[in-house]
Amino acid sequence: MGAVRLELVRPSGAGASSEHEAGERVPVRVRVIDSALDCIARQGVAKTTLDDVARQAGCSRATVYRVFPGGKEGVLSAVVDTEVSRFFSALAVRMGQAGDLEDVLVEGMTEAATRITRHGALSYLLCHEPEVVLPQLAFARMDDVLATASAFTSPFLGRWLDHDEAVRVAEWAARIVVSYLACPAEDVDLTNISEVRALVRTFVLPGIRSLSERGRDDADDGDEGAVPSTGRDRRTPYGGTPDTTSTTSTTKGEAS
Amino acid sequence: MDGPRQRVLEATYVCVARWGLSKTTVEDAAREAGLSRATVYRYFPGGRDELIDAVVSWQYLRFFGRLYEEVRGAGSLEEVLERGLAFARQALLEHEVLQKVLQTEPDVLLPKLTVESNRTVGLISGFLVPYLHEHALAPGVDIHSAADFLARMILSYISSPGHWDLGDPVQVAALVRTELLAGVLAARPAVG
Repeated sequence: MGAVRLELVRPSGAGASSEHEAGERVPVRVRVIDSALDCIARQGVAKTTLDDVARQAGCSRATVYRVFPGGKEGVLSAVVDTEVSRFFSALAVRMGQAGDLEDVLVEGMTEAATRITRHGALSYLLCHEPEVVLPQLAFARMDDVLATASAFTSPFLGRWLDHDEAVRVAEWAARIVVSYLACPAEDVDLTNISEVRALVRTFVLPGIRSLSERGRDDADDGDEGAVPSTGRDRRTPYGGTPDTTSTTSTTKGEAS
Repeated sequence: MDGPRQRVLEATYVCVARWGLSKTTVEDAAREAGLSRATVYRYFPGGRDELIDAVVSWQYLRFFGRLYEEVRGAGSLEEVLERGLAFARQALLEHEVLQKVLQTEPDVLLPKLTVESNRTVGLISGFLVPYLHEHALAPGVDIHSAADFLARMILSYISSPGHWDLGDPVQVAALVRTELLAGVLAARPAVG
């Protein structure tokens, strides 16, 4: 992932804009990136030429080359970096507004699923040119994706979880989103916030409680730790947690 | 014993191990199997593409067949999940042909694997349902949603374990009792 360029975030965040005309104050770099997204959403990566992108952006091919000396490869890599940045900025906005642990998970997972599902260029590629994207999203590369997602989103869980827990839970939440999007389930739609809430209440919050208990038990036992450590001493789990988890159904006793 | 179709698949697999997915031809497979091209086409009328898809499907199912053999004697749901995760991860890492093709031709293999993997969610969840029947589930948990959730998670951890080390039995036991089963089962699983 390249440097996070927050200034590139579009207020609407929706599809790229064909109405960006030359002369507007949108920097040419952004116009080229959005045009490339439009082209990819329409015809994929293989068929998209720099001429297509330049025409869509309302500039010359020479201008595209001036901004992206790497040509098509350079544009594509900027597109990926930009979309990753936009994705995580949007997640940050949504997760930053959440009032409790349940909400931060529900809002974050819904936002992520919605953005991924409605991403025109990504949808086109997954459907028509999977060979372009899947190698970036499988096996060890998916481990990288999960680590990136966790690194970026775990701070937003940090209000309710200690550092290690937040890192683990963020990775787990990303894993759940990816799993349900990779193979759509009949009865679970992660773009529907109430369905995400049901999933979080049913499977995720009890899991977080058990992770915390396990971590605490390990700390008490002073052993190596049954859950992998991410390298920091543990604080009391759920320190300062708002009373959100008690709203979920559980019959688990607290005695260990 | 094995029919010609099986012979062709095995021969194709040998060729894929040697040449990769893209370079293996019907001719290679026929020669390796000691059969004529016409015979190969009789079983795989779609030619090379059908043959390659079939060999990926066949190996994929074989992998899950081995996984099934590994876990079917398990006495409890926890044991099924623990043994399954550990075995599958190890088998995947030690699968030389898979690892080689993942390195050299991910663009060819992964679209095919994704198709197979989507079918597998149903297979795994179907296998888990009887085990779930033996447990009291947490209030409000539907057995089929739980099985579906577990199947997805299992596939995910096997291919991309993230920070979990599935070679460490202690971590596998913790994973099963937290991220997999904590929300599914009513009572805390007995900790040995």
